[in-house]
Amino acid sequence: MKAFLLRIEPVIWLLFGQGILLGTILLTGWILVVGLLMPLGIVPAEALRYERAQPLAANIVGRIVLAAMMALPLWKGAHHLRSLAVDFGGAERDARVGATLYLIASIGTAWAILAVARL
Amino acid sequence: MAPPQPGRTRTAPPEIPGSWWSAPRIRNYLLFDATGVIYFLVAFVAMRIIWALGSGPEHWDKAMEDLSNPFYLVFHAVALASVIFVAIRLFNLFPKAQPRDTGLPMPPNPVIKALLYVTWLVVTVAFATVLSGGIF
Repeated sequence: MKAFLLRIEPVIWLLFGQGILLGTILLTGWILVVGLLMPLGIVPAEALRYERAQPLAANIVGRIVLAAMMALPLWKGAHHLRSLAVDFGGAERDARVGATLYLIASIGTAWAILAVARL
Repeated sequence: MAPPQPGRTRTAPPEIPGSWWSAPRIRNYLLFDATGVIYFLVAFVAMRIIWALGSGPEHWDKAMEDLSNPFYLVFHAVALASVIFVAIRLFNLFPKAQPRDTGLPMPPNPVIKALLYVTWLVVTVAFATVLSGGIF
């Protein structure tokens, strides 16, 4: 497993790098509006009523942005949690922990793609 | 300088010092990594919302309503603090992490940093404006 993780490391690093950069850039506006301002009533709920939200998300740009916003942060999360596990738990379990976290990120990525595909 | 005898480079096993909580640099480094939990959760919450959008108006309305739950509000407040913390630390470290001596012309570090902050601000304002119904 360790040899496999080393072999796919360039791909992991690419996804991690995009996850931390693009994920952070995209998530800020999403969390601000959808997670806070709208539930608090500062932004009217009408702005994201179904009739407006659906076509907005379902066009090609909307699908790409949403897929990136959902999938890429998973790779930032997986890689950083792997690093945290090494810092606190040592390197012995690294292969198992890394493989599990990247598997969760892979499943999440597939789920994100499916979520935008069925819009 | 060549070593006296050829052999593998010795490295110390990674070990976190017992005093990590009182050392600001290590604490910030660990906090930066720990935001991975938040990124995981935010991504899955967003997936649940977009999945609901694909399931029809009733599911969408229910998902939007759920976001008013205090649990979600506290979670998103922590998530916003996390992405801001990650952005500031990442953008400050970014110029230092670039490969040197590539032969390619590189802008000065303050310019790289300014570009990152401007991109973050512009994308955030644009995305927030679209989501709030300001444009489109």
